[in-house]
Amino acid sequence: MALEAEDQIELREGVDRETIETVQAMAGKYKHGWETEIETEYAPKGLNEGIVRLISEKNGEPQWMLDWRLAAFKRWQQMEEPRWAMLNYPEIDYQDQYYYAKPKSMAVKPKSLDEVDPKLLATYAKLGIPLKEQMLLAGVEGSDEPRKVAVDAVFDSVSVGTTFKEELKKAGVIFCSISEAVREHPELVQKYLGSVVPQSDNFFATLNSAVFSDGSFVYVPEGTRCPMELSTYFRINAENTGQFERTLIIAEKGAYVSYLEGCTAPKRDTHQLHAAVVEIVILDDAEVKYSTVQNWYPGDEEGRGGIYNFVTKRADCRGARSKVMWTQVETGSAITWKYPSCILRGDDSQGEFYSIAIANNAQQADTGTKMVHLGKNTKSRIVSKGISAGRAQNTYRGLVSMHPKATNSRNYTQCDSLLIGDKCGAHTVPYIEVKNNSSRVEHEATTSKVDDDQLFYCRSRGMDEEEAVALVVNGFCKEVLQALPMEFAMEAQSLVAISLEGSVG
Amino acid sequence: MLEIKNLHVKLEEDDKVILKGVNLTVEAGKVHAIMGPNGSGKSTLSYVLSGRDGYEVTDGSASLDGAELLEMEPEERAAAGLFLAFQYPVEIPGVGNMTFLRTAVNAQRKSRGEEEMSAGEFLKVVREKAKSLKIDAEMMKRPVNVGFSGGEKKRNEILQMAMLEPKMCILDETDSGLDVDAMKLVAEGVNALRSEGRGFLVITHYQRLLDHIKPDVVHIMADGRIVKTGGPELALEVENNGYAGILSEVL
Amino acid sequence: MALAQAKLDAAEARLAGLDLPKGGWSAAARADALARLRAMGLPGKRDEYWRYTDPSTLTTASPAGAALFDAGDEAPLFDGIDRVKLVFVDGVFDAAQSDDPAAAGVEFLSLAKDIHWAKGLYGVLEARGQTPVERPLAALNTAAASEGVLIHVTGSAAKPVNLIYLHQNETSDAILHHVIKLDAGAEFTLLENGPAAARFNKVLEVEVGDGARFHHIRAQGRDHERRAVTHIFARLGAESLFKSFTLTANGVLTRNEAIIELTGDDAKAHVAGAAVGDGDFHHDDTVFVTHAALRCESRQVFKKVLKNGAVGVFQGKILVKQGAQKTDGYQISQSLLLDEASQFLAKPELEIYADDVKCSHGSTSGAIDETALYYLRSRGVPLRQAQSLLVLAFLAEAIAEIEDEAIAEDIRQRLENWLARHES
Repeated sequence: MALEAEDQIELREGVDRETIETVQAMAGKYKHGWETEIETEYAPKGLNEGIVRLISEKNGEPQWMLDWRLAAFKRWQQMEEPRWAMLNYPEIDYQDQYYYAKPKSMAVKPKSLDEVDPKLLATYAKLGIPLKEQMLLAGVEGSDEPRKVAVDAVFDSVSVGTTFKEELKKAGVIFCSISEAVREHPELVQKYLGSVVPQSDNFFATLNSAVFSDGSFVYVPEGTRCPMELSTYFRINAENTGQFERTLIIAEKGAYVSYLEGCTAPKRDTHQLHAAVVEIVILDDAEVKYSTVQNWYPGDEEGRGGIYNFVTKRADCRGARSKVMWTQVETGSAITWKYPSCILRGDDSQGEFYSIAIANNAQQADTGTKMVHLGKNTKSRIVSKGISAGRAQNTYRGLVSMHPKATNSRNYTQCDSLLIGDKCGAHTVPYIEVKNNSSRVEHEATTSKVDDDQLFYCRSRGMDEEEAVALVVNGFCKEVLQALPMEFAMEAQSLVAISLEGSVG
Repeated sequence: MLEIKNLHVKLEEDDKVILKGVNLTVEAGKVHAIMGPNGSGKSTLSYVLSGRDGYEVTDGSASLDGAELLEMEPEERAAAGLFLAFQYPVEIPGVGNMTFLRTAVNAQRKSRGEEEMSAGEFLKVVREKAKSLKIDAEMMKRPVNVGFSGGEKKRNEILQMAMLEPKMCILDETDSGLDVDAMKLVAEGVNALRSEGRGFLVITHYQRLLDHIKPDVVHIMADGRIVKTGGPELALEVENNGYAGILSEVL
Repeated sequence: MALAQAKLDAAEARLAGLDLPKGGWSAAARADALARLRAMGLPGKRDEYWRYTDPSTLTTASPAGAALFDAGDEAPLFDGIDRVKLVFVDGVFDAAQSDDPAAAGVEFLSLAKDIHWAKGLYGVLEARGQTPVERPLAALNTAAASEGVLIHVTGSAAKPVNLIYLHQNETSDAILHHVIKLDAGAEFTLLENGPAAARFNKVLEVEVGDGARFHHIRAQGRDHERRAVTHIFARLGAESLFKSFTLTANGVLTRNEAIIELTGDDAKAHVAGAAVGDGDFHHDDTVFVTHAALRCESRQVFKKVLKNGAVGVFQGKILVKQGAQKTDGYQISQSLLLDEASQFLAKPELEIYADDVKCSHGSTSGAIDETALYYLRSRGVPLRQAQSLLVLAFLAEAIAEIEDEAIAEDIRQRLENWLARHES
């Protein structure tokens, strides 16, 4: 037994060591800022009904899908952009961008990964996401066999390929792009699309409903434990182009799936819009873990460029004893507007939200969660760690709502903010609504700066200031980092350090 | 090795003068002890030497093997071979003890242009050194000093000292909050590190630690100065007569 | 846009029913407030700042009636204290029932009189308090208040001043506006109690000079059907102290706002409240503390005990401005829900632009601790007594904010009596 414990240390140390090495190897801040030179086909600039029809046509969609989009577009035209978040950005000109961009080499959909344009494969390889089934994602030192991770790669407006589809099919799991699901599994898409995030939900979700071009689709049948982790890797490459992806995950009774999402974009002087929708449906006894490492280009020190990230994510725990866990590491984007939520409808259902949000330089983040308790004996837990540096503004915004019928329910919220430097801001805006007395709600929040004693202790042992800050901040985030799958935990730890570069001294 | 000359220090916050001209030389291979009543400036001396914020040096100098310490950042002092075992070791939630130690060891190696230790080698060395200090694997996994007992914290300090292999070790009230057994363990750890090339400065209020770590030279500090210097017998004199006797004799 | 127009129309309708004071030393301040009100309109329930409290009954042209309450032989709060009483009946000063204000050792004048020192203060803190959040009902008050007291404290006051608000007319609609100025180093205690009117709109502006100490304790009256909206606007100088505690038992609707600005270094502000409600009871504490200086401390402690569908609201904010280093900000809001029907709605906020700060907030809601209850009973304490003990223990942190031990004990006793009367 003693040996086992020691081996565990080694394993963890392996991760941490990697982190430090990665951090040290990267002198140059944002590492995914390069661009792939590839011929791209664009839809005409701007947004109108014709563009919505064109996207639908490009995806070879049936009429019902087009009708759905058009209804959303009509509604969107009547809506106003929400301005309640603590975000300050110039008005977005929705007519001054492209809503569809696709590499020309994707004109004919490749039948297998072997047919995919090598330039695209190289792009993902460079991002550390090999799109080959024989080359697995970096296995973790010490584990018996390398873990398999299936990847759906979305490049601008289209999915360029999905790995391990056949192996997953054998298990009954459907994992493909949403455009393919609309064509191949219309009965599932029609049943669930918009059932968690309705078309009219909010300005950005409605926009997405009209113009979403691709995204991922996951269906895990009853009683099935998905045999590997699933992931989607989003890459924005084309200039002046918005990315609007839609993800739909359905976990039937007793199913289990862990899904990972990563995102990056090239360095550009202009802002780019990203408005995604993620819907998750979870039935009795099923469980979904959804992890995000959001590393869109954050803009430069002066706030030039960067992604405007407006995302609606929601999980509907429809079944009894269903469970969802959101984990997010938000280090990128110039603007983040994102509140992954849990509707705890089934009795005894559970929702968890673990978040690290780092804002440095001129970044602004307004992010948090909603826990809506509708069923009896439902439980939720929120752990949010916000870090502000430079001139950044970082806001936690959350709602915990206990409905009258959600008796004997529980919520625990811990919301901590860390400030590095005297020009940044950290804000906490929780809404707590309790409408029955057998439920218990606890909310705690703290704000403080990086502890001088801790930094001095580290430095007196020989670490330089940046290393000391990275170590202490990683410690501050530990509870959330531990909630991530191992592969992502490594990336996330190094991201924490990289995101804070230049924030001290 | 460590040379302190005419060191004057005041608190930045309220201009209070704490050190009023400290002169002290610690030679390689020797153990010096500083004793003194509360408020005499013992801990301030250790903090100023290791580079903690909040103090202003108004006069004097301190050097380690000829290198001027007071101009350096804390991590540069550590790399130069200075180590302070804290009176109150700092808790760092979320950071594993092992991670901390390894980051420190490699940071120092790197700054000295040495190869970083491989994971295997590091683990082997740590296990060995931790064992002699009765630090188990469980303690290495826990966050730095968080939830450690007084004795565990002090043993952890000595483990760091053993791993970092400094030239000059300062022990600030390492005996405070320890029972006899824990003190013995810590003292054994320190004694094991005594060597030709290494100097020690042991700061303590009581003589009892010096029963276990035998000093070569004992200094008495009072009101920001070293007022008397002698051999180990000076510590016994404090034990028998208290500080009052010695101070009245000196002043 | 229709919404905004409706708010403006509501303001005009409300103003039409009021006889606004004209001329006099405060004319300019009133005109200014009137202009602010006309630009903002009255609050509507779609306003974010009124998310959890429907303001409609506070903004109508005339108030709903409120039956008078008979407290029986229970002595009014503060009766045992040597103080100077100033009595208002349905918002009108009653000299016959009042003491000679000179006995308090402060400069005292009625709002109706001309006085120079108040000229630069009346409506000033209220106007400052309109950003970043609009408070139209306070602007309405500044424009329309016909009565109130102006108290200038130059040294240590000889006695506390007790403002007593009697309610005798079932449809009264009172608007009072008080201004208190504490010079550097001065000390003063203000006591307030009574239901005041069927509907009560009160503004209290307090300027606390450097090193001055201001204590404020109030009890809002037990009339079940009364409605009240109150605002305290306070500005604190260096090393000053501001302490305010409010006890609220009953009342169909109460909205208490406290807007406190710490503008001098090392100042301290504590605001606390204990509210107990049974049945048709909606109580809203809305607090906005701004730290604009070094090393200031603020505490917000609000506790509510709710039963039979009573609703408790807490909106509290700590704003730490850039440069307000070494701020220590604390906020706690807790509700004890004694049955299924009661509700607690909270929005505890932190907005922080300085790094060397220690700020925290906590908010909890839940039923009485069954384990503790069982433990007490297993030791022989009867159920009701055990409940009462636990409820008082829950309220203790708020009551502890009262420095005067005799008053604290009196309030504890009254809460215990309230619990005994409201056993179900």
